[in-house]
Amino acid sequence: MISRELITRVLERALSNGGDFAELFLENSYNSSIRFYDGKTQQSIAGKDFGIGIRVFYGKSAIYAYTSDLSEKSLLEAADAVSKADRTDKIITPQQLQQRTFDNIHRVQVPGNTIGKAEKIDFMKVIDKSARGYNEKVMQVDLTMMEKKQNVLIVNSEGLYTEDERNYTRIFVVTIAGSGTEYQTCTEGPGAHAGYEFIRSLDPKDLGEKTAVVAVKMLLSDYAPSGNFPVIIDNGFGGVIFHEACGHSLEATSVAKGASVFAGKLNQQIASEKVTAVDDGTMVNKWGSTNIDDEGTPTQKTVLIDRGILKSYMIDKLGGRKMGMPSTGSGRRQSYKYAPTSRMRNTYIAPGTDKFEDMVASIDNGLYAKKMGGGSVLPGTGNFNFSVAEGYMIRDGKIAEPVRGATLIGNGAEILNKITMVADNLALAEGNCGSISGSVPTCVGQPAVKVDQIIVGGRK
Amino acid sequence: MYEKEFNTIFDIAQGKVDEIEILLASGKSFSVRIHNQNVESFSYADSNGIGIRILKDGKVGYSYTEEFSDQAFEMIIEEAIANSKFVENLEPVKFANHPAIRQELDLYSKELDEIGVEEKIELAKKLESMALAADKRIFNVPYAAYSDGYSYAKIANSKGLKKETKTNYGMAFAMVLAQEGDDKKSGSEFIISREFSKIDPRKIAEKAVKQATELLNAETPASGQYPVIIRNETMGSLLSTFSGIFSAKNVQDGKSLLKGKIGQKIASPVVTLVDDGLHPDGMSSSPFDSEGYPSQKTLLIDKGVLTNFLHSTITAAKEEGAKSTGNASRSYKNSMSVSPTNFVLEEGKSNTEDLFKAHDQVIEVVSLQGLHSGANPISGDFSLAAEGFLYKNGVKEKALANFTISGNLFQILKDIEMVGNDSVFNMQSCSSPSILVKNIAVSSK
Repeated sequence: MISRELITRVLERALSNGGDFAELFLENSYNSSIRFYDGKTQQSIAGKDFGIGIRVFYGKSAIYAYTSDLSEKSLLEAADAVSKADRTDKIITPQQLQQRTFDNIHRVQVPGNTIGKAEKIDFMKVIDKSARGYNEKVMQVDLTMMEKKQNVLIVNSEGLYTEDERNYTRIFVVTIAGSGTEYQTCTEGPGAHAGYEFIRSLDPKDLGEKTAVVAVKMLLSDYAPSGNFPVIIDNGFGGVIFHEACGHSLEATSVAKGASVFAGKLNQQIASEKVTAVDDGTMVNKWGSTNIDDEGTPTQKTVLIDRGILKSYMIDKLGGRKMGMPSTGSGRRQSYKYAPTSRMRNTYIAPGTDKFEDMVASIDNGLYAKKMGGGSVLPGTGNFNFSVAEGYMIRDGKIAEPVRGATLIGNGAEILNKITMVADNLALAEGNCGSISGSVPTCVGQPAVKVDQIIVGGRK
Repeated sequence: MYEKEFNTIFDIAQGKVDEIEILLASGKSFSVRIHNQNVESFSYADSNGIGIRILKDGKVGYSYTEEFSDQAFEMIIEEAIANSKFVENLEPVKFANHPAIRQELDLYSKELDEIGVEEKIELAKKLESMALAADKRIFNVPYAAYSDGYSYAKIANSKGLKKETKTNYGMAFAMVLAQEGDDKKSGSEFIISREFSKIDPRKIAEKAVKQATELLNAETPASGQYPVIIRNETMGSLLSTFSGIFSAKNVQDGKSLLKGKIGQKIASPVVTLVDDGLHPDGMSSSPFDSEGYPSQKTLLIDKGVLTNFLHSTITAAKEEGAKSTGNASRSYKNSMSVSPTNFVLEEGKSNTEDLFKAHDQVIEVVSLQGLHSGANPISGDFSLAAEGFLYKNGVKEKALANFTISGNLFQILKDIEMVGNDSVFNMQSCSSPSILVKNIAVSSK
């Protein structure tokens, strides 16, 4: 798209006032989505995201500019903007660009653009029919199929010149059950760093029915009680609590500025011995995986917590400068419109040896959070709040009636010490994680875990 | 502006589509964040995009591009046509030369555009130092930032419609962390304005610090039903979360429980709610909406009675007697929807202080967490982690934390006893005063 000669000139210009590192991130993405709602194809949209981000480091601070105008004039203007933000006396020149290649481990077998829209719509029709057919209380099914092909070129003043192509494919299912004045929803959003073969690997009938079963069950259930209970948080999307309440606090973004409860705690016990946690970008074709991060660093499998001991943070280049540690290949961004920062990939609690049945049997009166909903964490404190999308009471060691409207309230650092049992049924679930560098694909995950005490906010 | 690009797209579309609408957004933005008096991040952006909506054989197709070249413009026309072919939802889309704008708005400040970078950095630095100096219990200021933006929008269609507008804003935001013993609390505050002089770092720092320190060593209230005051900005956030219930699109899609309730009493008589696309202080004000239809002020709840829903020309065409309220909304990347502009709960006759004296005991809620997950925007149910204060006989007794309030928005609207006079806009362009609710379920350990 732009010549190496121009790239070199832009890097030089960006460093002309004394910055010590310059980087360009050039993106050309094709996005398409189809929305099937109310039993009909509502919209199909496609488009092109296109632009360049220019970043310069002055020691430990970063300057960022972006533009979607790739003319020479505009690029040099953007480079001037970043160069003028600060000034130092030492002017460095960029190193000779060297192409670096790597194996793309997230191969695409069936490119999305080779499949007609009709086949994609037919797939969604099966989900719709199956959800509606399960029960007359299913009033609405809202489906979106999203495909993205992102081509990036990453160049920096250390001589790096590397390209990557990322293909993302996802189907998002929202099933709504209602009766009179009440509604309950159930969502599922399987996705992969892969092509259309991922959609073909899914069973649309099962997706529809699975969501309908939960939405209807929650509709017919009573409200959860309030109080302090032992809770089993099941596998898959249950990992969202670890992601939000602990994962974000292990990102360099919050650690480097001392805003994290885990700052300065490397090699210390921060969790129960039952807890080993990993952030892994190398899982083949997984939604949160990468070949290289958005700073061009090869991805890795990073053990964050090993049997309760804090082993590593998730670090990007700038975070690494501030902390005096190397990057863990965790620099990510939604698009050229965002400066990269440390982000999660596929983050999960590793499987333990406990059996799910024994966990249930150990509780006289508690809550089984089979499926978690969304939530949020107050930055700096780790206090969190998550809704339970599908919950059941546990009474006398057995799973009892379904309950709705429950919220789990607690503190990330505290909860890690209250995990007393970890099952062997690890599963991952796809999500989009939002933070200062935008929304990026990530997986959350865990086996079922038992937390001895957690505040449940209910309606009774 | 952008005459050449618009003409090129109209030319390419000629003969290929029945109707076409072109929406362009371009803008510049700037932000700086300070930490330990150093520039922690600093960014400039220059962005633009074009989204088109076409009509062919009665079907609508969308596409967009951020690359402005003849090749990209050819691509979006082809994509939009391809996308239209599979659409089964035959919405009554009418491309028209909509009425002229109702009112010229003063949404652009040249003075703000001319503020130098140094001055902006200085403001953010002051914000951090003032917050740290305000109270010795403040141990960190994770965010001290200034940002501003300029945006230009243009819309034109094959029926001759052509409108453009520009706007800008400046904003400063601080988040602080306070610690006493083992207890940590955070507080945040912002000011958004088109007048740089109104963005006072001292005011922001002091409010954020007060919020954090007042909540230190908070206790947990006993579970039970309490009269609750929801503070202005927090009430604004709660209202923003549920604003979708007033969208005619949601009503028509069966996603709003207000369906069929026009003319009925849905709230206490002290409640009057409007959507005001022309509000002089609103950051979502614009002379026209995303279809080019003129913006207006729309009364939604009049003294407790539901009077109207928010419409685009598409939703209005589906209802006898309905007219667009100028609430069509889309970015160039998305399809047409309906959204509020500036959502305003009007001030009541009561002084806010009187709300605290109305009951022997009242809990004031000053922050709510988890609005995007713990609140169901359709059913109105919510269960949210809260922080606040307990008042007895109008006197502040203690700070409260680690509790949840739960209830249902539709019930809250009916149970509002008093509406204060301390309106403030939140970041989602919702303005609300503090309100007093008869009772809300509070739960804790």
